[in-house]
Amino acid sequence: MALFEITKNEADETYTRKTQVPQYVPSKTKPHIDSLVDYKKYSQLIRNINESGVSEEEKKFLRFGASRHLMFNYSLIADYYAHASKEMQELMEQSALVILDIDDAIANGYVKLSSDIEKIMNTTGDRTKDA
Amino acid sequence: MRNDFAVFILTHGRPDRVLTIKSLRKCGYTGKIYMIVDDKDDSIDKYKTLICDDIDVVIFSKDDISSECDTCDNIDRKNIVLYARNSCHKIAKDLGLTYFLELDDDYSEFRSRMLIDGKLCTIYVRDFDSIADAVIEFLENSGAHTVAFAQTGDFIGGAGSRVFKERLARKAMNSFFCKTDRPFKFYGRINEDVNAYVLNGSRGELYFTIADVSLDQCTTQAHKGGLTESYLEMGTYVKSFYTVICCPSSVKVHVMGCSHKRIHHSIDWEHAVPKIISSDFKKGDRK
Repeated sequence: MALFEITKNEADETYTRKTQVPQYVPSKTKPHIDSLVDYKKYSQLIRNINESGVSEEEKKFLRFGASRHLMFNYSLIADYYAHASKEMQELMEQSALVILDIDDAIANGYVKLSSDIEKIMNTTGDRTKDA
Repeated sequence: MRNDFAVFILTHGRPDRVLTIKSLRKCGYTGKIYMIVDDKDDSIDKYKTLICDDIDVVIFSKDDISSECDTCDNIDRKNIVLYARNSCHKIAKDLGLTYFLELDDDYSEFRSRMLIDGKLCTIYVRDFDSIADAVIEFLENSGAHTVAFAQTGDFIGGAGSRVFKERLARKAMNSFFCKTDRPFKFYGRINEDVNAYVLNGSRGELYFTIADVSLDQCTTQAHKGGLTESYLEMGTYVKSFYTVICCPSSVKVHVMGCSHKRIHHSIDWEHAVPKIISSDFKKGDRK
């Protein structure tokens, strides 16, 4: 496996399709917990570390470093959160695996901001039609 | 303009070309402006000649702040904006500000892009104070660490551009509305803004760009002073790798452009930042 895989990045489009401004709507289906993280790169690094001749202290450090290559799938994580137990939800919140928009403050706040700016621009803006 | 807010303009070596001041005034901004200048700038005295009732200069020590900054490399040079960016929250606190807006020195215009009769049109900002008030209200209510204007280039593709359709993006570059008691750090010798919103964003901090207002910036690398030397030295190839260093699980480098190809960072948002979901999905004490 190459150090950095080159693949077509289609994630942005997925994000756009699934996102309401700016909330994500979790799926009605609970994903399997094993699907929340892609371990492929991490596992390869751990295997290399374990088979190496460096000291145990160095291996310990390198294993921490390898964890930076764990790929969290935040859509699936949000899907999982919606179906998780209360205790699991609280632990996920503590680790910022999802962000709760309490009472829709972010979503409603943005709607208000956008509306305010539209009013300001319509009353005070300098209109110049694009060429 | 409210007196607990000010605009910070981060500038270096361009005392005769701080375009952003003129642009802000043209756009109707009436509040205080502070030019943030480092103590190694040879043109400090020239900057001081610009001081008047509503424009001031704040000089910070690069050496003092450098111990708190992670450049993500071992290059012993300080010709970067990272130190100024990471000084701003402390400067705002010392000035007694509640909110501030961080800008670079080469912005020529602030505008809004709106669909009028089915066409994407430009309306130039002429009441910047009211715009700032509205953004501050959103910053406060959303709990975001920063809110940024879009960049004009975000609207390439017109009404079909991703930023125009998406409206609120999980990133922040070039302009930063900040709350003084909600500090965050920038990282990396270069691409420090991208590094911040990806790395801090992955840990749950919120960074937003709004499509409702955008700024125009002079062409990078064509305007002497500021970061130009750093960009010319390193190019976008090296620049992009700083973000890979920060978040290797969600960022890659890729080739972008058609006729003029260049290396740029590519963020896989699915793996970059946690999703925002309604609190209705929380079990227990909420419904």
